[in-house]
Amino acid sequence: MSKDFDAIVVGSGITGGWAAKELTEKGLKVLMVERGRHIEHGTDYVTEMKSPWEMPFRGVGDPQLYASDFAVQSKNRHFTEYTQNHFVNDRENPYSVAEGTEFNWWRSYQLGGRSLTWGRQSYRMSDHDFGANKQDGHGVDWPIRYADLKPWYDHVERFIGVSGQNEGLSSLPDGIYQPPMALNVLEKHAKAAIEAKWPDRRLTIGRTANLTQEKEGRSACQNRMICQRGCSYGAYFSTQSSTLPAAQATGNLTLITDTVVETVDYDAKTKRANGVSVLNVKTGERRRYTARIIFMNAGAFNTNHILLRSRSAAFANGLGNSSGRLGTHIMDHASTVGAIALFDSFQDRATFGNRPTGIIIPRFRNLGDQTEGDFVRGYSFQGGALRSAWTRGKREPGIGAGFKENLRNVGPWRMVLVTFAESLPRETNRLRLDPAKVDAFGAPLLQVDFTHGENERKALTDAGKEASAMLTAAGGKVIMSLNRPGVGGSAIHEMGGAMMGHDPRTSVTNRWNQLHDVPNVFVTDGAAMASSACQNPSLTYMALTARACDTAVKLLKEGRI
Amino acid sequence: MQEEISRAGVGRRGLLLSGMALALNPADVWAQVAEGAPLPDRHRTLIVRVCDLVIPDTDTPGAVKAGVPAFLALAIGHGISGSNAPFAAALFTGGKAPADAGILDWLSFELDLKAGRAFLSAPPDMQVRVLTDLDSQAYTRGNEKSPWRTLKGLIVTGYYTSEIGASQELRFELVPGRFDPDIPVGPKDRAWSNDWTAVEFG
Repeated sequence: MSKDFDAIVVGSGITGGWAAKELTEKGLKVLMVERGRHIEHGTDYVTEMKSPWEMPFRGVGDPQLYASDFAVQSKNRHFTEYTQNHFVNDRENPYSVAEGTEFNWWRSYQLGGRSLTWGRQSYRMSDHDFGANKQDGHGVDWPIRYADLKPWYDHVERFIGVSGQNEGLSSLPDGIYQPPMALNVLEKHAKAAIEAKWPDRRLTIGRTANLTQEKEGRSACQNRMICQRGCSYGAYFSTQSSTLPAAQATGNLTLITDTVVETVDYDAKTKRANGVSVLNVKTGERRRYTARIIFMNAGAFNTNHILLRSRSAAFANGLGNSSGRLGTHIMDHASTVGAIALFDSFQDRATFGNRPTGIIIPRFRNLGDQTEGDFVRGYSFQGGALRSAWTRGKREPGIGAGFKENLRNVGPWRMVLVTFAESLPRETNRLRLDPAKVDAFGAPLLQVDFTHGENERKALTDAGKEASAMLTAAGGKVIMSLNRPGVGGSAIHEMGGAMMGHDPRTSVTNRWNQLHDVPNVFVTDGAAMASSACQNPSLTYMALTARACDTAVKLLKEGRI
Repeated sequence: MQEEISRAGVGRRGLLLSGMALALNPADVWAQVAEGAPLPDRHRTLIVRVCDLVIPDTDTPGAVKAGVPAFLALAIGHGISGSNAPFAAALFTGGKAPADAGILDWLSFELDLKAGRAFLSAPPDMQVRVLTDLDSQAYTRGNEKSPWRTLKGLIVTGYYTSEIGASQELRFELVPGRFDPDIPVGPKDRAWSNDWTAVEFG
């Protein structure tokens, strides 16, 4: 039977854009379905060039609006008056949490999804990470190792453009990078001090998907550091700047927006998915699209949500859920301020321009055979050094001409290290369909049931001590160090629920990101993650997506799906 | 600005304390409040004066010319930094307050109390002394919740995000075009108002 398309890609964010690009470039006719509004690259970045005094609330935003419409989103530090149009309206898009739990789910429903608002940090996972579940028994063993993904990391980095420094570290594999952004004067000093005292530790510039060299019609970064408003220079990777134009150039892409996928439809005779049922959120119109393969790229939790509500006689508990594990083992990263320190040094030195990345101190704990501390796996630090700005005037005494004159100069140096600790995969941390609550269209809400565990708290406690020790060694005076994780979701690295694994009885997707149960459905966003590592995960999602696209097209050509 | 203040609802009540004797105690002040008629313009006048005292004109225009009073009214009306949250009576010296007292009622009350008279009709040097005293107290340990910290924070934000504060008093460059990691800086160099990372974390 003929199908409307060769492939349907559900979602247009970081991985949806990649799936659309790879599949269309391999000759497939692709439908990409985005639930949110269309955002045109450049012309729709309406706040991009605004100065604070041109904004009704000076960039701070209207707390009354935020309380009514953005109760969760507005807790995110990337959410401002400039960027509020790139985040979801919480009132119109509710979710629930299990009793006694909290979860901040930060979302961007729009063409480009969170590729417009992401933090752009781009790190490879290592074999420490891919081997961790097998080694310590948490979760299920990843069915792949670094060697499987390395060529696809190469492929992705070459295309999106990542600037960074190769360091030869086992915990953070090297990549294919544009020239690194520069460490500032205090960061250089801290690097020397830390590496002298702890030779196994490294301070390096953040590897970021911001260009330092022009690339295929995209400009080099202008050092504005207002990326989340949208960048008409195309200087950071987003769907709009990068994968969407590539997919559109093939002539093989059909893009629809304002259309939410309600279910992936299953044909019990062929034991394959045969399309998706969609709802136009503007008109309320429902219809079906058919295709030979489906790529699930709705964002980790929404991919789970769609699969959970895709119920049929064959899959009463959700498509591809014969294991009963769909929605389980969700993760985030446990994150908090490791340490903040003030510095008396370098008072006659400063920086100019806004570098859109910080520094990273990659994982140094529990590598190889050595076990340090009372926790498994590890954490890394991200942060940087800066000279205080006018905002210090809010917390300093003084009024009058002297106060004003003091704030005229750059303030003291301070350095911040933020901890990101690995979140262990646990069966009890899970998603389910809310048993009672429904959305405006009658669909059951997604319910999040997540808490950080003792291992995460122990890792953050160790991290707080180590961050304080390192900043002290660099000559700083530590003024703050925290060791309790933020509410779940705070790292905006929510992932898991359709974890990859060898065994269909204990995992949801296989080594090629196919649903074990329905091999023409590929889950290649964060839902497929079997462990979280402690790195920012988006680059891994992209590599998994590109790899799965390659496999999908081969299998299609061989007539195997 | 009057319209904005009115919209913000901060002009509804005021404390009438003109011509009072020195050395008031809180009970005296509240007695005067009970007797006094609200003055619709009083908060407006107070905002303007306090903004001017915090960030005056120097070789660059200060907070009043930069339009900070209007921003402050808007900010309080919409509750930026919690500035329109229900107000605890305990925050008032003496621990008593009218049921619907707002942050500007508090400011007016405390300044009048410290001045021992209507703050707004006090001589400028006395106003400086009184506000300096209030400010110093608010920034001592244990006073982290002082409403003055909220108000001063809004004045600071209002000024350095105005065109005057951001681009005349400080320097503003939306498109730096480069990153210099290590440049000399001296006491006469003005900071950049749009060093966003420093604005957020500094």
